[in-house]
Amino acid sequence: MEPGGSSGVGSGNSGTYTPEIAESLRFEEEIQSLIHQSFDGSSAAGGSFTALLGLPANQAVELLHHPGPGEPPASAASSSPTAGDLWRLRLGEHHAATDALRLPFGGSSTFVERAARFSVFATDDSPASSSGGGLSPGLKAEPPDSDSPPTLPAPAGRPRRPSKRKECEKSKAKAVAKKSKSAEENTSAVKPAAEENTSGDKLPYVHVRARRGQATDSHSLAERARREKINARMKLLQDLVPGCSKITGTALVLDEIINHVQSLQRQVEFLSMKLAAVNPRIDFSGLDHILSAECGPLAVGSGCGGGASGTAMWASDTAASTGGIRRMPPPQQIWHLDLVHPQQSSTVWENNGAAHPHFLLSPAISLVGYDPAGSVPLNSNQLKMEL
Amino acid sequence: MLISAPDSHACQSINLVRREKKMKPGLTAQAETKWRTAAQEHVYGRRLLEALRPTGGAPAGPRAVKEAADSALALTARGQSRWSRAILLGRCRPRRKLLLKAGGRIRRGRRHPRPSAPVPQQQVSPELRGKKVKDRLRVLGRLVPGCRKLSASGLLEEAADYVAALEMQVKTMRALTEALSAASLSAGATGEPGS
Repeated sequence: MEPGGSSGVGSGNSGTYTPEIAESLRFEEEIQSLIHQSFDGSSAAGGSFTALLGLPANQAVELLHHPGPGEPPASAASSSPTAGDLWRLRLGEHHAATDALRLPFGGSSTFVERAARFSVFATDDSPASSSGGGLSPGLKAEPPDSDSPPTLPAPAGRPRRPSKRKECEKSKAKAVAKKSKSAEENTSAVKPAAEENTSGDKLPYVHVRARRGQATDSHSLAERARREKINARMKLLQDLVPGCSKITGTALVLDEIINHVQSLQRQVEFLSMKLAAVNPRIDFSGLDHILSAECGPLAVGSGCGGGASGTAMWASDTAASTGGIRRMPPPQQIWHLDLVHPQQSSTVWENNGAAHPHFLLSPAISLVGYDPAGSVPLNSNQLKMEL
Repeated sequence: MLISAPDSHACQSINLVRREKKMKPGLTAQAETKWRTAAQEHVYGRRLLEALRPTGGAPAGPRAVKEAADSALALTARGQSRWSRAILLGRCRPRRKLLLKAGGRIRRGRRHPRPSAPVPQQQVSPELRGKKVKDRLRVLGRLVPGCRKLSASGLLEEAADYVAALEMQVKTMRALTEALSAASLSAGATGEPGS
């Protein structure tokens, strides 16, 4: 009883290999990892996947070239690791290696001849045949770099068959490659095949589509993808920086962006200077209380010593235009540092309003004056709303 | 004092940064929405305050304040952007280059750009290889911390994030200074008649 893949192996048609092609692409990596893992522990037991790979190359090649239908299980178990075997082993691992192995050799001779041809190609590295040979240099780079040279012909025979199928499915593979954005390597590998494929716009790629009348080789495709990416990011920046959407031309937009960044950095410096000046007058243990929405104002009041006149002059410079600021703005404004609990701030206002009724007047006045020249901070908005 | 606090912050957060770098896939198109939320303002405000606290005693230089602010900003970025990592690791010297490089690759998984062949371009900004544009890109790379040797696309992405972050920083700092100055004023005022 043979699984479906085996019949495909026997017939050798490209269509029937469809389900296995995608897997084969993954197999190669897995195979390599398995090779490395269990190369030492290879046993001659039938059904052991690693046994296949433990076999030296000459025996494998012999088996390839001289198929025998009734091979003894021992040798069959240790025969060459053909791609079909590996596929079947992945698909149904409970299958004994003997069953799997007997198939390609018991199958049609055409398949074996093709396998033999591929192994020849692997060693020669000449694109003698159709694009299967053209694909081989690119694909050959993938598996055998970790394989030891003596086992080269045997595993090299493996990628040949997937490469042959891959040629027919190259469009899908290329779409997959593009999707994963590892386009560079694969596109260079399937480059000769890519041209005939993409010119007709038959297959929609996920990221890049070859437009009509544009160059379609892999280089320009990658170029176009990169350019579009850069343009998208430029658009983002343009939206971010105010006043850039009207400007046309990359250089001018970049100019604007640079100016904006520099002005922002300058503002940060200026504000940090301000903050540094304000800092020594604040008792930070008091601020701690404030942030956690406790009875802050009292602690703040207790912490501040002299220098009130200095701060008053400072505040008048920095805060706003009206001179009314110098009059006791309520400490409740500190509450708006704690933006997480706006409700609590309003309650505290009421409490403090009861305690210090004269403060209620000043918030109204100072709020009006507190509007800074630049942006209106969120805090003062909340202040106004709650009043 | 001020510098030491961000230092400890930075060194503590490096592990956090490394973990989060591997988790986050990408940064595109998030710049605005990410930084404009009020939640970020809170987070940043708190961090800034915490950073500023130890300077209660000695007079803090404005440069130290600025550095604390920048470090707090970079912390709030949670290490997902290259400039934030550059700021944080700039304070903490030894692991700087290694983490910067590792972070860039792990996070985006993007390949280094291939040497571009001269191809006729029909896209929106055909000047991508113009001298002016290149000069300005270089200037921008100098402005954004940690982005000097970066490709155009990466640089633009970092710049978008950086601009959004800076705007939030300015906003928060302005509110903070006003609130603090108000508090100090009132406290000073109440202190005088009270004492």
